[in-house]
Amino acid sequence: MSVTYLLLEARRAMRNGRFLIFSIAFPVLLFLLYVGIFAKGDKAVIGILMVNMTAFGALSAALFAGGRVALERSLGWQRQLRLTPLSGSGYLAAKGITGMLLALPSVILVPVVGAVVEGVSLDAAGWLRVTIGIWLAVIPFALIGLLIGQVGTPDSMQPIMSLTMMTMSMLGGIFIPIDGMPSWLLNIAHVLPSYWLGQVGRGAVTSELSVNLGQAVLVLAIWTAAVGLGVVRRYRRDSARV
Amino acid sequence: MAGLRKSYGDVHAVAGVDLTIAPGEVVALLGPNGAGKSTTVDMLLGLTRPDTGAVTVFGASPHDAVANGTIGAMLQGGALLDDATVGETIAMVASLHRSPMPVAEALGRSGIEDLANRRCNKLSGGQKQRVRFAVALVSDPDLLVLDEPTAAMDVQSRREFWKSMHGFTSTGRTVLFATHYLEEAENYADRVVLMRAGRIVADGSVAEVTSLVSGRVIRAAVPGATEAALAMLPGVTEVNVRTTRAEISTSDSDATLRALLATYPQAHDIEVTAMGLEGAFLSLTSEGADRS
Repeated sequence: MSVTYLLLEARRAMRNGRFLIFSIAFPVLLFLLYVGIFAKGDKAVIGILMVNMTAFGALSAALFAGGRVALERSLGWQRQLRLTPLSGSGYLAAKGITGMLLALPSVILVPVVGAVVEGVSLDAAGWLRVTIGIWLAVIPFALIGLLIGQVGTPDSMQPIMSLTMMTMSMLGGIFIPIDGMPSWLLNIAHVLPSYWLGQVGRGAVTSELSVNLGQAVLVLAIWTAAVGLGVVRRYRRDSARV
Repeated sequence: MAGLRKSYGDVHAVAGVDLTIAPGEVVALLGPNGAGKSTTVDMLLGLTRPDTGAVTVFGASPHDAVANGTIGAMLQGGALLDDATVGETIAMVASLHRSPMPVAEALGRSGIEDLANRRCNKLSGGQKQRVRFAVALVSDPDLLVLDEPTAAMDVQSRREFWKSMHGFTSTGRTVLFATHYLEEAENYADRVVLMRAGRIVADGSVAEVTSLVSGRVIRAAVPGATEAALAMLPGVTEVNVRTTRAEISTSDSDATLRALLATYPQAHDIEVTAMGLEGAFLSLTSEGADRS
């Protein structure tokens, strides 16, 4: 795999206005807005909102990166790349890593705003959890994005991505904090990886409704393995067909 | 390439192709749409696996040849990323190869130095083709495969393209190009391979392929002549009459012409031409043509 290829991928995303607005500016703005509306000075609530908006930004950026695969497939860019020494696994790895790279700005920006503007204070381990922790927990989302990009067409990408993003953030306890969820909704949330993504950060800011970090990591690892397998199988089928 | 076959359902896209290309040859692959050119090219590049038969490129499989950078290809409508610049695209492709030529050289050879900072979505059709050429070139390949390289180019850019191509082939590299433009095959190829319905129907130098189809074409204004009457003349293989102008294909132009003038003394503006590659192409690739 090539660093030049990764850098080009990242640079291309940075040229995309929609990406900059929705995945980088939006989470920060929403965080500030929500704190103004809901927090009323409650430090715990501010902390939860910070974690949730960090998770939202990171997961939407990771999904976005994968969605672009649909366009590249329809263009024949994958075919073009098959005429270079870049292997199929190299291409998929580059796409996955790009998703992770694109998730970085949110993972840094939202916590920085939380600390500097909103006065959230955590110990070192806590900060590590809400930054690096959430960042690593977004791996299954980078893969989900890839899978969607491999299955969908450029035309269907917008609705599929919106639906995925809404399901993940609404039902997974990102936009509607799990504290306010009725129990039936909470049961649904448990099915989604976004619930566990939120849990990775949540434990650092509140002990209420928090699960053991190890459990969250385990569930996310299972998601990663399952979706990863899907991505690899889909790629094999895709390239055999051409 | 030996015994290549590839079918899609009931369609035999390639039905037994054997082709050996020597290093340094410039080969044109000709044929009407659906003749199996693109499928053949795809198999040569390892993009499509043949149902039967084998492809060897410099002693290696197509996949290994691609991985080694010994084979470079410009695909029909090959993709470029809209939001990347020309320079970035070429540099990225170069970075994937082990021993690429300098990016500046690839840009220079393709005549697109001045476009390096341009985004790919701001290019004209001809410019895009030259960028694709640079993408194929940057791995510094020994074999260059081009599928319809000058489609979407105007006359001027087509000429410039072949000039840069010439700069490449004069270094002893091997080139295989598929084209619709017979003139390009005539002017730039050492060897012409004609395909029809998934098979090779002619293979040789332009002169050899042309001579496969013996015969000439007589064009003349022949007032009062009908197609049926002209077809009765000796040697005639095909007749076309448009208003008063007749186009007569013949296997014996001398006999046909003598008879024509004897029967129609008023015939005038007479032209006799060799069939040329176009005539050979049409007669060898038309549906009814027998395998020679």
